[in-house]
Amino acid sequence: MRSARPPAWLRLPPGLRDWAPDDLARLRALEGRLRGAFEAWGYREVATPALEYLETWQRGTGAPPRALFVVVDRTGELLALRPEMTVPVARFVATRWPAAVARLYYVGPVFRGGEVVRGDGREFLQAGVERVGEGGPDADAEVVALAVDALRGAGVPEVRVGLGHAGFLRALLDAADLPDEERGPLAAALLRRDFVTVSARLATAPQEVRKALQDLPALRGPEALPRARRVGVGQDALDELEAVCDALQAYGVGHAVEVDVGIVRDFDYYTGVVFEAYAPAVGAPVLGGGRYDGLLARFGDPRPAVGFAVHAERALAACSGVEVASQVLEVYYDPEARPLALRWAQTARAAGVRVAAGPAPSPSPQGSGVWFRSDGPWWVQGGEARRLAPQELEALTRGGASWLS
Amino acid sequence: MAVLRLAVPSGRLLPDTFRLLRAAGYRPGEGDSDRSLLRRWEGLVLVVAKPVDLLTYVERGAADCGVVGKDVLLEQAHEVYELVDLGFGRCRGVVALPAESRHLWADSRRPLRIATKYPRVAERFFWERGRPVEIVELYGSVELAPQVGLSDGILDLVMTGTTLRANGLVEVAEVFTSTARLVVNPASLRTRAEAVQELVARLSEAAQGVR
Repeated sequence: MRSARPPAWLRLPPGLRDWAPDDLARLRALEGRLRGAFEAWGYREVATPALEYLETWQRGTGAPPRALFVVVDRTGELLALRPEMTVPVARFVATRWPAAVARLYYVGPVFRGGEVVRGDGREFLQAGVERVGEGGPDADAEVVALAVDALRGAGVPEVRVGLGHAGFLRALLDAADLPDEERGPLAAALLRRDFVTVSARLATAPQEVRKALQDLPALRGPEALPRARRVGVGQDALDELEAVCDALQAYGVGHAVEVDVGIVRDFDYYTGVVFEAYAPAVGAPVLGGGRYDGLLARFGDPRPAVGFAVHAERALAACSGVEVASQVLEVYYDPEARPLALRWAQTARAAGVRVAAGPAPSPSPQGSGVWFRSDGPWWVQGGEARRLAPQELEALTRGGASWLS
Repeated sequence: MAVLRLAVPSGRLLPDTFRLLRAAGYRPGEGDSDRSLLRRWEGLVLVVAKPVDLLTYVERGAADCGVVGKDVLLEQAHEVYELVDLGFGRCRGVVALPAESRHLWADSRRPLRIATKYPRVAERFFWERGRPVEIVELYGSVELAPQVGLSDGILDLVMTGTTLRANGLVEVAEVFTSTARLVVNPASLRTRAEAVQELVARLSEAAQGVR
């Protein structure tokens, strides 16, 4: 019983949006800078289809179908739009790219079929990297350092990366010694960041474990590793985490990265370090990633891998000051000056100026630009026109944002 | 560094929120009127927001932390950290039917029309039980709906049950219990860690004392 809605063509489905030129230009600029960073670190771009078999996604992410956009193929087979890019890249590498070591990156929209969480669309742009074929702290540190470098290069201010370990969290949950039917709800509460429920469900867990799980949001910073070690579980995971921190020293990103044992990622394929990047005033992480040594194995290839994805629209929200040059020079012509005007417009375009040309409205153009009349070129602005000297016209073809004013 | 901003809910939970803040040692500033929506307390700026908007303020970083009922957290998808059960504002969400038609609940295959401010909670509750339902979204005086034929029953908050009784409704199922919670923006938790931890510690201690 909802009130009558406007027709479909006036609306968009929830969580989907249009991009007007100004916003899109900023998004593309950000995308370009991310690509630039990935390329500079020796990563090569790869693309996979937006649609794959539903079964592939379930095999890869373990996500329930209701989190996906499902499509029925004409043969009746179920397909789904990609909810993320790590699984298809892993599938690609495992099944058709046997190169021993690969550094790959991707940029593309992903789709979520679930509920619309405030501020997040059901389609959004992800740009990320996957470093395949190498385990160990050096590969982890490279990817974390690249995450910092790419975000900074894209103009995201005050980047903070929290570095945790999926194995430590798993060891904590094991040590909580819960019956199987309790473990799922506890992990779900952790993922929802519902620490009230976490506390309530741990009434019977060992004191040390309970305290560590309750204090997860604060288990962060220079003291986090020694404090986590005192819990007495997941020492292997903490050793790995420490080794990655050591390796990161050499990259000179130290103060942007801190240990954050409370990082919980939403896909179940992470096996090693996990990390998220935050920027001020953006409530959700602008980047997330980690090591997923078991994922390629789900597609028949045991190679280890580590990677991350930038949530491009959140990153864009974080760098509010990005300005994009979008100035277009208008050229107007009277009928008898058309050949001259269009020839000049081509010369200017060849010189790199963005030129939009069209017949001059009657009685005179309202905007600003060059007005080719039967008596020669004029500069018009705010309804006033003045004759252009040949050297001024020449200067315009050399571009620059400093139009005559 | 700017003072921490705490979003507090206007309406039913506001007096207890102020009481808790005082118990935690926070003091109101000078010269704020009772109607002002932005109040400067010592060491804290309070943003008075409608409960239904509160998570938006916290999630978008307009406030670092917030006080909000669990009922709102259940209804709205969100990405905030829920850190402390503050204990006050205790109430329950229930399904209630008019006393004379309460027998309708026994037939789990009969589609029910349910009026509620909690469409998502209602949908989830009925879906999990496999019961057919038609949700009627209302934003005030939900208990009126069955009396005028707008719905078969309601899903709404009850505190004492007086309103239900006054409108001839009886509870047939409990859906959730709710208390006020302290929530935190994930970025504030990391970029303003010390200030946030202090607020969390002071409020959880005060909440223990009040309980």
